[in-house]
Amino acid sequence: METTVGLVFLYGLVTALATGLGALPFWFVRGVSARTVAIANAIAAGLMLGASVGLLLEGADYGMLQTLGGAALGLVFIVFGRQALAGREVELGALRGAGARQVLFMVAVMTLHSFSEGVAVGVAFGGGQELATLITVAIAVHNVPEGLAISAVMRPKGASILACAGWSVFSSLPQPLMAVPAFLFVELFRPVLPYGLGFAAGAMVFMVFLELLPEAYESARASTVGLWVSLSLGAMVLFQRLL
Amino acid sequence: MPQEPVLAVLLLSTLAAVVGALGALPFGLPRPPSSAVVGGAYALASGFMLGAGYLLVSRGLDRATIAVLVGAGVGVAYTHWVHVYSGLEELEPAPALVPGAEAADGRTIERGYKILLQSALHSAAEGIAIGLAMVLELRLGIFLALALAVHNVAESMALTEILRRRGATVAEAAGLCVVAKITTPVLALASYALAPVMTALLPGALGFASGCLVFLVLTELLPASYRQTAKLPVGLMVSVAAGAMVLLEHLFLRPSG
Repeated sequence: METTVGLVFLYGLVTALATGLGALPFWFVRGVSARTVAIANAIAAGLMLGASVGLLLEGADYGMLQTLGGAALGLVFIVFGRQALAGREVELGALRGAGARQVLFMVAVMTLHSFSEGVAVGVAFGGGQELATLITVAIAVHNVPEGLAISAVMRPKGASILACAGWSVFSSLPQPLMAVPAFLFVELFRPVLPYGLGFAAGAMVFMVFLELLPEAYESARASTVGLWVSLSLGAMVLFQRLL
Repeated sequence: MPQEPVLAVLLLSTLAAVVGALGALPFGLPRPPSSAVVGGAYALASGFMLGAGYLLVSRGLDRATIAVLVGAGVGVAYTHWVHVYSGLEELEPAPALVPGAEAADGRTIERGYKILLQSALHSAAEGIAIGLAMVLELRLGIFLALALAVHNVAESMALTEILRRRGATVAEAAGLCVVAKITTPVLALASYALAPVMTALLPGALGFASGCLVFLVLTELLPASYRQTAKLPVGLMVSVAAGAMVLLEHLFLRPSG
């Protein structure tokens, strides 16, 4: 038992670190025009919508009503969170003002979403140990686009690559932390899981329609935004289904 | 009704198209709906359509992931191609256009025709969605047709606003809204008739319908919505309407949970 708990944590940690890899593509992107920012937002939007489709499908296995209840809580959380932060000076590393507020929300939503994912990992481990490595690899690879989504929002606002990678890893840290208790107390955590999955989906979908898409439409043609969102949405669903 | 499902397809898809005309009625009131209300109607229509897309995809993913996604890709590419080829893509105002400048644009005859063409294309995708849903399960088809009927009320409201600016009367606008949606029953019947012959293609077809719906939302409905209404109500309405679709489908079609 002792080694297994350590193993679950270690595996969880690997999946968190993988999120940082999502910042790497931005190493190669130099100029940040308004159009690039719009496309980055569109890509992040597609990835988050794709992730939400995955969360809903998974949540449906545990209970659709609970999942949707969680999604409603996710909406409420964002509405009140925005109100609480409105008019307040937010600083996040080198970022300030409205940009920092948006990044803070993005990181907060993705971090909360990792709590649910961590529980999902732990519950899955509890189900059967031989699947452990497979699930870890799957979650780790699936975290890379999540890091990409965070970096796509942070980088154009002037954050360094290191900051993008750092906050991406940070957003996934709850995974190993939640995976262990969920693994140890599967029966306790299983009923909460659909709420958590739904919460993450609701918060992410709302972020997309509240922040990412309107910003994307401001500085790119609707057809450009539509194509990038569809492409990244399809890629994310493919990714999650195949792994 | 189950004995004559073809009749059900025809009736329900026609209902979905005709009910849309109700969206023109508020413009007959002494105080027609404001631009912000029309933007809100677009947002609701978007949410219902995204919910429909999710429902179709989730049914398809149970069968074949790759086929669904390839179908969705073809749907997106097809819709984009139609936009570019028909010149509909040029309909979108320049990114930074102020709302006031749009009024002049709305009066050109060219734009009036294209708006109707756009609506016809849009309704075709809805027809395919209804037809395929009927093939999967009669109740899913009925649900989708009713949901799209509500969606069409919101959409016709937006269409009527544009037609009114060109000088159409409320009755004319209502008539044009219905005519432009004639593609819904036609394609619902066609896809219902063809689907059993091509069961192997069903997952791909579900993906196709879903890809068309999602891409139409992303390129037509949402941008228009954000132009006319603030992003907080738009974001809320889109998310809640999409969630409501998933919830209602669950309550109607899977009562056992």
